[in-house]
Amino acid sequence: MISRDNAGARPDGGPDAAAPASLVDSVLEHPLAQRMLLFLFGVAVFTLIDLRGTGIGELLRPALGAPAESGLWGRFAMAVVLTTAIAFNIVVVNLLPRWSQVPVVWAELLFLFLAFFYSFNLSYEFIGRKIGFLITQGAFTTIYISLVSIAIASAIAMAAALAKMSNNAMAYGVATFYISFFRGLPLLMQIYLIYLGLPQLGFVVDPVPAGIAALSVCYGAYMAEIFRAGIQGVPPGQSEAARALGLKTGITFRKIVLPQAMRLIVPPTGNQFIAMLKDSSLVSVVGVWELTFLARTQGRSEFKHLEMLITAALIYWVLSICFEMLQARLEAYYRRGDRR
Amino acid sequence: MKAAYILAAGLAAAFISTAPATSFAGETLDRVMDTKTLTLSSDASYPPQSFLNDDNEMDGFDVDVAKEIAKRLGVELKIITPAWEVITAGNWNGRWDISVGSMTPTKARAEVLNFPAVYYYTPASFAVHTDSKVTSVDELNGKVIGVCGGCTYEAYLKKDLVIDAEGAPPFEYQVEPGEIRSYETDTNVFDDLRLGDGTRLDAALSALPTIQEAIKNGYPMKVVGDPVYYEPLAVATDKGDPEFDAKIAGIVKDMHKDGTLKALSEKWYGTDLTTVKQ
Repeated sequence: MISRDNAGARPDGGPDAAAPASLVDSVLEHPLAQRMLLFLFGVAVFTLIDLRGTGIGELLRPALGAPAESGLWGRFAMAVVLTTAIAFNIVVVNLLPRWSQVPVVWAELLFLFLAFFYSFNLSYEFIGRKIGFLITQGAFTTIYISLVSIAIASAIAMAAALAKMSNNAMAYGVATFYISFFRGLPLLMQIYLIYLGLPQLGFVVDPVPAGIAALSVCYGAYMAEIFRAGIQGVPPGQSEAARALGLKTGITFRKIVLPQAMRLIVPPTGNQFIAMLKDSSLVSVVGVWELTFLARTQGRSEFKHLEMLITAALIYWVLSICFEMLQARLEAYYRRGDRR
Repeated sequence: MKAAYILAAGLAAAFISTAPATSFAGETLDRVMDTKTLTLSSDASYPPQSFLNDDNEMDGFDVDVAKEIAKRLGVELKIITPAWEVITAGNWNGRWDISVGSMTPTKARAEVLNFPAVYYYTPASFAVHTDSKVTSVDELNGKVIGVCGGCTYEAYLKKDLVIDAEGAPPFEYQVEPGEIRSYETDTNVFDDLRLGDGTRLDAALSALPTIQEAIKNGYPMKVVGDPVYYEPLAVATDKGDPEFDAKIAGIVKDMHKDGTLKALSEKWYGTDLTTVKQ
């Protein structure tokens, strides 16, 4: 269906514009042909991957005998079975009512994901023993560092955005230098520079403040550009109208421009927050006991790294889902002006 | 526009205030005695020397030695865990006072740190996957060998190991590696070796106690031949306080003499590593 729509809507007619108008240009654009091709492609890929050593090989043991000895024919048969299963799954999901499709797909992917981890033979007893501290100390420190850095970064970003839009050459110069410098350095380098460099000037900073400072200035630089774009995205007519009504510059910015700019600022800023949550893991290099640090070190005493890394990964994921939900609510709040 | 001026003024103020407030070295002992705390920098991922135990506290041979040193100084021990390269970079600026981190006193490190006392000797050994056919050290020539980056094992493979300490036993370079792969830390090397013989690595070079600890925890590895060298491991301090260094040297000497170190070594390694066995 999709291909037919595309063919019909093609604005320039493509290479065969001279040909008589037809909805289906070639047999390859026929949906059924495309699905067949996709199926063959799937079979080819899975044959190449060689599934004989996997669970599917075991599943077909009654039909094909020992998986390892089934040869090229076995590889092909397993590929056909797997591709058919996937195709069948797609058909079934398509038949479901619309509201249930997304949850079903999520559940299926999550199941595959967990089955993947399950195949690692992890020690759940070890995870259970360590997860408490991983959350109370690790996740707590990660959230704490991220939130403080986000707050400071927002303040820096607003100042830098205003300075970059100012007519004052000094302010413009400082802002562009700041943005260029801190966007141009790897965050890890900034953390090292602040932690190791500042003491050379006589300021001995502790690991946590050093990490927060590095995260703040780095994300402040990125967010400054987001803020600037948001503010400049508000049509100039808005502030002109406010001035015509006799409003002062400050109140025009706070009450007229900023609320409209926020609609443009919130979505990319939410992105930055989620990125910051994960980049806070870099602070582990200076010895802050946050999530990544504990995930790396707790597993070491008993040589069980994968357990801790996977647990920490899932905690990060849950945290960023929380951030996503928060972002959605914020977006709804600032979009309320659009509702009529 | 006003915000811009404030920003500019703030930056100017920041620049002026960065005029170096010179810190005078030599006050480590005073600081330790005044605050009644000895701050130890330790690596949290180096079992059994130093690691996070089940109570989420730092534990291990190195930590026990540091606790004993603090006890004999009559102060509390506080542990922080910066990255290893931050510790070995020197210039600690009083962030921590001492490193009891199984550090080998190499010539390069002695340029930025002081090594007042050697407290034990670690045998360095090669390990291979249990499936490997290698049985002696000479068979490792031309193989892919994994080591921790920036450590003495890497220096040994690069034939660049100069140990600058009294009583360091002599050694010779016995292996011509085909390729050296450097990792962040020893445990990462073992993780790659366990994947299979030759999958990513053919062999690893590491501390014998660490290899044995990994084997105890189910890693499919075996030790190859005798240790290739013994490295003396020393307590490290920042440059500039000879009084503190002398005090630490005295304490470690006493711990050698009265058998405390021997007892701790037997507790953590099951054998006495505080003297060289050839």
